[in-house]
Amino acid sequence: MDDRNGLAVTDLCYAYERGKLVLRGVSARFAPGRITALIGANGCGKSTLLNLLAGILKPDSGQVLLDGRELGTMKRPAIARRIAVVHQSNAAPGDLTVEKLVCAGRTPHRGLLRPLDEGDEAAVRQAMADTDTVQFAHRPISALSGGQLQRVWLAMALAQQADILLLDEVTTYLDIHYQLEMLHLIAELNRKKRMTILMVLHDINQAFAYCDEVVILKDGVVMAQGEIGRVVQAPVLSQAFGVASEIITVAGRKHCLFRRQGGDYG
Amino acid sequence: MRRNGARTALAFTLTAAALLAAFFAAVNTGGLSTTVPQLLRGLFVAYDETVAIILQLRFPRILVAMLGGGIMALSGVCMQAVMRNPLADPGLIGVTSGAAFAAAMVTALLPALARFTPLFSFAGGMVGFALVYLLAWNKQLSPVRLILTGIAVDAFFTGLYQAFDAFTGSTYTGAASVINANISLKTWDDVSVLLVYAVAALALCWLAAQRCNLLAFSDKTILSLGVNLHRTRLLISLLSVLMASGFAAVIGSVSFLGLIVPHMARLLVGSDHRKLLPYAALLGALVFLLADTLGRAIAYPYEISAAIIMAILGGPMLVILLKRSGTVYGR
Repeated sequence: MDDRNGLAVTDLCYAYERGKLVLRGVSARFAPGRITALIGANGCGKSTLLNLLAGILKPDSGQVLLDGRELGTMKRPAIARRIAVVHQSNAAPGDLTVEKLVCAGRTPHRGLLRPLDEGDEAAVRQAMADTDTVQFAHRPISALSGGQLQRVWLAMALAQQADILLLDEVTTYLDIHYQLEMLHLIAELNRKKRMTILMVLHDINQAFAYCDEVVILKDGVVMAQGEIGRVVQAPVLSQAFGVASEIITVAGRKHCLFRRQGGDYG
Repeated sequence: MRRNGARTALAFTLTAAALLAAFFAAVNTGGLSTTVPQLLRGLFVAYDETVAIILQLRFPRILVAMLGGGIMALSGVCMQAVMRNPLADPGLIGVTSGAAFAAAMVTALLPALARFTPLFSFAGGMVGFALVYLLAWNKQLSPVRLILTGIAVDAFFTGLYQAFDAFTGSTYTGAASVINANISLKTWDDVSVLLVYAVAALALCWLAAQRCNLLAFSDKTILSLGVNLHRTRLLISLLSVLMASGFAAVIGSVSFLGLIVPHMARLLVGSDHRKLLPYAALLGALVFLLADTLGRAIAYPYEISAAIIMAILGGPMLVILLKRSGTVYGR
């Protein structure tokens, strides 16, 4: 693998308030074409790292590198053509139709004045087909369920035709049916389009099931990173989350069982 | 989708028809009256004394009301898009009163610079806007905090120009008409100033519509779409203040016009600014013309200023909006 390929961060530091560092020198590489899980306890800086990677926040020190080039030197639309983001919660007018929302994903390609051309329309159609949202195209987004809506936001990100997709806890507010549907969709995008995907996840078992790599954050630094099957072990989870656990292998796939404090596996 | 389009077309058609009807009603409200055929003949075919008087006295104020109403509605829509807040009426939160104060001061104290009134008025509007924005900003702009701060700033500027008016014994009639937002003595000069504003406003709003649509998303989403959020916000704010201060320089400070009209427009044509902006302009022209005509008609031969009519209608409307705020932007 070319060292300069893909997304990487070196010595990244960030503070929302002076003197209170959320990230304290994070260095990590996100393997191109792979799905990486970003995990860690609440408040460890996962979302902050994701926002820095997307260029939404600017680092106090350190660098975000995209193919070896510092993100801060790139123009915003150029970044948005390479990196798309789906956020945990979103806001939009309720009467906006699904299709118009997905069209907004073309903004980095066309600016705000050029009308949609055939290329834009093809990208929007493809994004809606990939996320199975075509049947909602003309519905207002207020008429959709949470799971359907999150797929529409994913479609908007896909319409950007970026090769890197960042997902910030996109399954958090969904029930288990929609969680798995969403993760399945994401895994498929990675397989079919070779997209590099980085997602913040809370569920270790979902990370095992859908991710290739893992980056574990603790107190604003990278505690461990690498191939998920190798890296995620009981001692690591204990250190990262302060929980007792056991990793078992069922039908060739790893699972994690957590132990209640002073209790049985549950 | 298609039903939506039909609904929008219907709203545009009916409003345009109502505006035409209101125009003829306004022409006929007052001491002189005329018929539509007489009016058209007097305007385009042969001289007619009645029509000539109406043309000189009544037309300017009618056109000022229409153009002003449209401009103020556009200003309101833009301000609400920037602040993501359905209550952000430039006429209510100190932008137009700041602009009107500056306009009144220049008119009265520096008549040599009267040509530059719009410039001073814009500066006054910006001061009002900046005050509200800075004072109400607390990580985000909460609707209620914004409106409270805005009312304080508005009261301050209103107090200033009323005090000024009292100091001078209301001798500066030009300034006094702006202070009272009285449009009964408007001339064709005022019409031409407002016309310039209106044409510029429509053109700029057409360019800004897509940006306004994006501003409805959350900040993170806007940034991840590669949009320069701060510049976009600044540009739309400047546009809104420019329109409000143009209105203030000619007409004065009118509350609620920039609040009621965008709200009704959103209910009728939805939140897509490419439809919302032109429709709000049309509806604003209708509402302000009706307010002015109503004020002329109900107590004839006395007049109730359109600003007062708007305040009477707007008060209850603000209460309704306060109760509903938060749902308007689909959150």
